[in-house]
Amino acid sequence: MEEEKDLLTKIDRRDGMTVPEGYFADFAARMADSLPTIPFEQEGEATVKLVRAPRTLWQRVRPYVYMAAMFAGVWCMLKMFTNLTSTGSDQYLQPSATLAEALSNDTFFDEFVIDDVNQYDLMDEMMDNGVDVQWLNYEPEAEEPATVHTPADATPQMQQL
Amino acid sequence: MAEYPRENPELIERLRDPKQCRQAFTEVIKLYTEPLYWQIRRMVQDHDDANDLLQNTFMKAWQSLENFRGDAKLSTWLYKIAINEAISHLDRERKRAGLSLDDQEAALANQIIADEHIDGDALAQKLRAAIATLPEKQRLVFNMKYYDDMKYEDMSEVLGTSVGALKTSYHLAVKKIEKYFEEHD
Repeated sequence: MEEEKDLLTKIDRRDGMTVPEGYFADFAARMADSLPTIPFEQEGEATVKLVRAPRTLWQRVRPYVYMAAMFAGVWCMLKMFTNLTSTGSDQYLQPSATLAEALSNDTFFDEFVIDDVNQYDLMDEMMDNGVDVQWLNYEPEAEEPATVHTPADATPQMQQL
Repeated sequence: MAEYPRENPELIERLRDPKQCRQAFTEVIKLYTEPLYWQIRRMVQDHDDANDLLQNTFMKAWQSLENFRGDAKLSTWLYKIAINEAISHLDRERKRAGLSLDDQEAALANQIIADEHIDGDALAQKLRAAIATLPEKQRLVFNMKYYDDMKYEDMSEVLGTSVGALKTSYHLAVKKIEKYFEEHD
């Protein structure tokens, strides 16, 4: 180690290398100017924008409004189903001894129910439903004079329909 | 030769802050241009090569700034990049010229004689020529220890070698330099 010290202490630590005048100052300036934008910097900008962006009143209440609208929609749907079901039940005739007795009476049925039906309206309805109503006028015995169908005659045929 | 700047925790914090990193890195360039330049220059000898490699060093450091977590010293991190750049350059040049390691060392020694950016200190020039004949690792260790007065512990971090191995490398380098001086008296 003594020999090492002897040799190296004889030599100045300057190694004799030089650089052009002003090289280091120029290099630092040039290098700083040539630095490209890196993703790390952009991440920072994005973060800053995110932090600084003020939240409006609408942005704050929006989730609650959407949630309320969803519940209201569900409630409306339930209500609609309920109404449909209850309408059907309202139209259902409740058991009634008087009504049952009236309907079991043929005279009452013929006079007040069958007679109350307009035959032509009934035929129109049947034609609208695709029923061939021509057979109602079918006369198997052509020689016999045409007979006028009374409501009482038509009733059994219509009942067969 | 340039002294290595002391570690500055405030500067490192600013480097890790995306908003301030550019300004902080500009300061890093100013602080480390000279010491890194000399480290590279002693490896490659040529000023123009050293200039290019120094630019590459700072550019790589800037582009990988996100990876610098501040666990290692800033100087160690920059040194590593600079030395890797210099070694890669020497490897490329050697392959391009089809030289062996010994041939390249001799070529570097000759380059020192022909270097236009050099003053007239003959003894210093002879030392440079002697250093150029050293194997790559010994040359690195000698430069760091002799010119930069770097601690073995710091060298160990940069080069990834144990302190004992670095001391041995330095000792062998000095012996070879002495032998060179004896042979070229």
